[in-house]
Amino acid sequence: MSKLNATDVQGFVLRGYNMPHARFCFLHFQNAAAGRHLVAQLLGSITTGQLWDNGKPQSTLNIAFTFKGLTALELPLATLISFPDEFQQGMKDRASILGDIGKNSPEHWDALWRGADIHAWVAIHALTPETLEAQFAQLNAIISATGNIHLLGSQDAAALVIDGKLSTKEHFGYTDGFGNPDYLGVCRNTQPGQGKLLPDGTWAPLATGELLLGYADEAGELPVAPVPHILAANGTFMVYRKLHENVGTFRAFLDEWGARYGAGDAAAKEKLASKFIGRWQDGTPIELSPDAPDPSIVADPNRNTDFKFGNDLSGSRCPVGAHVRRVHPRDAFGFNGKLVDRRRITRRGMPYGPQVDPTTPQDPATLDSTDRGVVFMALNASLSRQFEFVQQQWISYGNDAHLGNEKDLLLGTHLPGEKFSIQGDTNPANPPLFCANLPNFVELRGGDYFFLPSITALAMIAMELVDPR
Amino acid sequence: MPNQNGRVFGLTFLCPILDDETLQISHDLQIRDYLATLPTDERSPFALAPGTHVARLVVMDDVIYVGMPAHEEHLASKYLVFETNTDADLPGYLRTLFDAIPQHIDAVWSHCTGYPGTADFDKLLAYMKACQIPTTFFFAAVNDKSVTETLLALQTQRAVAEFITTHQGMAPAQLQREFLEFYQALQSLPCPAAGGKLPRRVIKTGGHNE
Ligand code: HEM
Repeated sequence: MSKLNATDVQGFVLRGYNMPHARFCFLHFQNAAAGRHLVAQLLGSITTGQLWDNGKPQSTLNIAFTFKGLTALELPLATLISFPDEFQQGMKDRASILGDIGKNSPEHWDALWRGADIHAWVAIHALTPETLEAQFAQLNAIISATGNIHLLGSQDAAALVIDGKLSTKEHFGYTDGFGNPDYLGVCRNTQPGQGKLLPDGTWAPLATGELLLGYADEAGELPVAPVPHILAANGTFMVYRKLHENVGTFRAFLDEWGARYGAGDAAAKEKLASKFIGRWQDGTPIELSPDAPDPSIVADPNRNTDFKFGNDLSGSRCPVGAHVRRVHPRDAFGFNGKLVDRRRITRRGMPYGPQVDPTTPQDPATLDSTDRGVVFMALNASLSRQFEFVQQQWISYGNDAHLGNEKDLLLGTHLPGEKFSIQGDTNPANPPLFCANLPNFVELRGGDYFFLPSITALAMIAMELVDPR
Repeated sequence: MPNQNGRVFGLTFLCPILDDETLQISHDLQIRDYLATLPTDERSPFALAPGTHVARLVVMDDVIYVGMPAHEEHLASKYLVFETNTDADLPGYLRTLFDAIPQHIDAVWSHCTGYPGTADFDKLLAYMKACQIPTTFFFAAVNDKSVTETLLALQTQRAVAEFITTHQGMAPAQLQREFLEFYQALQSLPCPAAGGKLPRRVIKTGGHNE
């Protein structure tokens, strides 16, 4: 692989910023000149992938475009039509493939996602609310000075605070932010369990082209990318989904089925919750520690993502349909895990909405109706081969895992009659459990596909220099 | 062994389609027209012909050369491609089709060169043998179980899952009683019809997540 120029890649692509506050701003360009002018004005402030060896900045800035945005920027037609068709279509038109039906279908999305076309996503991440507002004020000043740019709306997201400390938890109570792929040239050091499995059972970084356009991917090919090459190289595609969490429904379901699991006590309930995801709520992988959470594993990067399912084909430690096993099956399908190397995604999500107050009891309906959930953002070189495949085949279907029509418990859009099976546990006190009458725990409230260009590509867009010939 | 994998047979045929320039609608188009209107559920001709795992009928107009440098190649005629995974070998499976759906065989194959009709089974067998291509590595749709075994297994799987969801946690004595009742009832259920409605899968297949 040729050496990666981290200063040409947007920083958001190369690493999770780990900043507790974020605001995602959605823009509409009244005309191409205004859009180009805005990009030119922002260019110098875009956070790149350069390492922060001298400490974190106070805030970051990144930008990405929908296909409609690139069209509004008047990129040449030959360039526009060279983008992959799922990106050209956008998320709404992919609803039937993604399983975005019923309450999740685009006509039920938030007003922001049903109104004027969203052209750009501008993301601010910040260390404090003050630095967030300061960066936002600057952005607003540039938007006003440019003119003919509409800020259609914005989405705030923030890390949850648990016992006075910043956490990586989401609103259902699970700790997130462990599993993410390592890529060649992108990560300084790799962590076992993050890249791809080798035949000898060790892990190696995935090919760069699974994340970045312009580099060889796991098939040894350049990913499908728009022309000219220089527009695509060092860029990637982003999935943005606002996933509402029905916390009341989740808690009621866990109470109901927890009472029927094992001893039916608090410990059984906690265990059942771990079976849904494949990690205890503190993050301990149940494949490694099926009977109790183990903080020493959580704290150890050499262990907290280092597990496989090949010796647990019956799902007695981690259920075959548990979330992490579905979305990253590792070696569960045999062939030393080779079948999953082209289905990996890089997650950059954050929780949004008010944190549930543990001290004041709230009724399930209020818990459900409060606007809170996960801003799910995922990066990949191919939306259709990576994100859409995971969503369609592994979250919304169970065939690869020999689970027939079963879906991911928390993420699936469930229809009457569906069930979720939890295989019998290593502990005889926990025989198999089949959960039925599945409610919908997560609802899609809006989203789209974005192209996150390199710094060079942003400059070309700003200067109207994109030339497909 | 060609055409066979475990207990399942993979039968493949290439049947030349008649070429008659005097026709208003050519034979290949007539086949396409007929195939396009066939039902694909339990009324599908192949659901009515026992022992069919999958069947595929394709009209192949010509071959297109893909590669460099481009050059033209043509087939001697258009072909009807018939591929199927079945529980029986050619004579056995053809007998099934002959008995169960002769009208469909006639409707499709009467547009093919040399087709002898369904009046005489031996002639039909000789014709199909002449069109058969030995398959050593074919798409195997199943895991070495017969169609009946597969349909019954799926029915059992659904029923058992349903039984468990409604009975899990029940006191052992009652559970045993109800299970025996359930088991007896299940034994006496008839085999579900092939091609029948499975639980609805709303998500669309495709995209092209190759
Ligand atoms: C509200 C929605 C979601 C919640 C609450 C959720 C929760 C979690 C949790 C708790 C983990 C385990 C922590 C970790 O390994 O980092 C996880 C991992 C993961 N999730 Fe989700 N998730 C959600 C949506 C999604 C969606 C939509 C996808 C993909 C289409 C996805 C893909 C993944 C992947 C790839 C991993 C890492 C698995 C691994 O490498 O072991 N998640 N998720």
